Amino acid sequence: MRVTLVARPRAKPSLPVEAESIIPQNFLRGTDLTVYEGNKERRLEELFFITVEGPAVSPDQVEVVLMGATGRVKRVGEYMNAGRIVIEGDIGMHCGNFMSGGEIVIKSNADAWLGREMRGGRITCMGSTSHNCGAGYRGEKRGMRGGTIEIFGGAGDFAGEYLAGGEVRIHGSCGDMAGIEMRGGLLVIGGTVTRPCGNMTAGTAVVLGHVNRMLPTFQYQGVNDEVWDGKRLKMDVWEGDVANRGKGRLLVAVGK
Amino acid sequence: MKVVDVVCPFCGCLCDDLVVEVCDEKVVKVENGCTLASEKFLGDHRLQSPILREGFGWREIGYEEAISVAADILLAADLPLLYGWSGTHGEAQSVGVHLAEVLGGVIDNTSTVCHGPSILAIQEVGHPGCTLGQVKNRADVVVYWGANAIEAHPRHMSRYTTFTQGFFVKDAHLARTVIVVDTRRTETAEIADEFVQVEAGYDYEILSALRAIVRGREDVISGAVGGVAKTQLIRVAEICKRAKFGAIFFGLGLTMSAGKHKNIRNAIELVEELNRHTKWTISPMRGHWNVYGSNEVFTWISGYPFAVDFSRGIAFYNPGETTSVDILRRGECDACLVVGSDPGAHLPRACAAHLAKIPTIQLDPHVNATTHLATLQIPVAVSGIDAEGTAYRMDGVPIRVQKLVETKFPDDTEVLSAIYRRVREVKGQ
Repeated sequence: MRVTLVARPRAKPSLPVEAESIIPQNFLRGTDLTVYEGNKERRLEELFFITVEGPAVSPDQVEVVLMGATGRVKRVGEYMNAGRIVIEGDIGMHCGNFMSGGEIVIKSNADAWLGREMRGGRITCMGSTSHNCGAGYRGEKRGMRGGTIEIFGGAGDFAGEYLAGGEVRIHGSCGDMAGIEMRGGLLVIGGTVTRPCGNMTAGTAVVLGHVNRMLPTFQYQGVNDEVWDGKRLKMDVWEGDVANRGKGRLLVAVGK
Repeated sequence: MKVVDVVCPFCGCLCDDLVVEVCDEKVVKVENGCTLASEKFLGDHRLQSPILREGFGWREIGYEEAISVAADILLAADLPLLYGWSGTHGEAQSVGVHLAEVLGGVIDNTSTVCHGPSILAIQEVGHPGCTLGQVKNRADVVVYWGANAIEAHPRHMSRYTTFTQGFFVKDAHLARTVIVVDTRRTETAEIADEFVQVEAGYDYEILSALRAIVRGREDVISGAVGGVAKTQLIRVAEICKRAKFGAIFFGLGLTMSAGKHKNIRNAIELVEELNRHTKWTISPMRGHWNVYGSNEVFTWISGYPFAVDFSRGIAFYNPGETTSVDILRRGECDACLVVGSDPGAHLPRACAAHLAKIPTIQLDPHVNATTHLATLQIPVAVSGIDAEGTAYRMDGVPIRVQKLVETKFPDDTEVLSAIYRRVREVKGQ
């Protein structure tokens, strides 16, 4: 089944829309779903032109395609466990929150908290994402625990905060404090990052580009030969965060 | 007539030993107060009646019409923002939260631009805090980090730290060691026993280094961190470890510099590390006189201390998403009620520009920068001068502020209650 949702023009286009109902499994029961626009509950068809093609008997046979102005639509794919969501443009905050299976493809940019506390599945973002990608909710002790997030552009601050499992790959650069409070998992950053991995206790972070302002509480372990993305690289290996009695590994490409 | 033991409604110290002279329903003299207190009590220039914007001018209207217009604006909105609250008393804040809930709006206080990061850090790792009385009576080492107490909280040092005698600290001026950490040599730094001058934005690194040193891992620290020599960091760590009772006070220099809540978390974890050696506490230097009260009131009603979104009928909280700066910058709200704050003067330009685009209602005794952005302003009594109510000091101690003079103006609680009743009436509740 292929469900196409094309955003209708809205009188107040800046108003946030909360649309956690947009997950493949919900469309098995039809399209009579609701979302919130500001403080008003709306039927899905009030905000989207809906087209449904073909049958499906299980969520993994459902593909949802979002088109049009969806940059303010939040929580798409929240608690998704199977199927596929393709977003042709930008997407709002919390896309893929808590998802445990299936795939989300974002062809442009994603707002903050992409894949927050994700458990499994895969998110691919062809553009960039904002702050707290793969992170935890405020005060939460663990962020993403499983699955894969791949960002072809850059990310904002606190990418992979509280990362506890799974893999976050950012091909571009990150803002401040990527991998802060990491407890496990793998964070790979292709470009530049500032002050990575503060307070990390476990897990591995790899920086293929340059580190601005390496934190003073990482202990240098020497140079290792490592293979990343099929390339053999010499990498400086650091362990920390010593301030937190941490045993995480931070690998930085030599000479970057 | 002289009124004694008056509470000052200016900063988070809530000094409660002022003597105020009142003559013909006007404050004419203030004793014991700092310059800021005197200006607050003696200042005037009150707006005399509600004003409604019409074209390029203003029309004076009555309170009844003002309340009706305010209710209509808020009812018509799809996402109203109720912002401010730190400059009013707890009773009004309480009505504000109920109003936000019935409207399905977002309510946020000025923590969003001051100690919101402190709250986020406390939610991550807890708060080893204490009352100011404990600090006064016990602390022999006091740290001011990113806080210029002498200019922002002028009586903090004379009432609670450096210049006051404590039960266990008899010769306070000599017995207390003061450490100031700041990016520049402030007035407070001038009286410090140890001044640590950090490069702007390097607080996180300094705190991490201190944590490592306190736990005996100075071997990993290089010769200098963030512009501070390792030898000074070791000396500071030793002073802290030798303290009988230490207290860190931090200000916006720490909460609003790069890293934000992670700076505060690191400071709290430094305190945690120091508590393996001796007794240490940490407290925020709260700015507005009742900003702590707004956090308390919001929390006891909604479960969250600021940035509470009721748009779906239940309370949701996520600073960065439901905070007023973010909502205004993204142009999400379509009406705003401002109480006890001046966002026109304090928030970023993009936020002020959005306030000017949407219907903005302000409850404030004075004409201020927000007036120029507002659609409607309703003048109210000043809490602590011509209205009474409950406030919370920066250490969480509730204190009653007094009504010193009679006034023709209604207070915030009365106006907000009238708007709340009107909203419920229209909604048929």
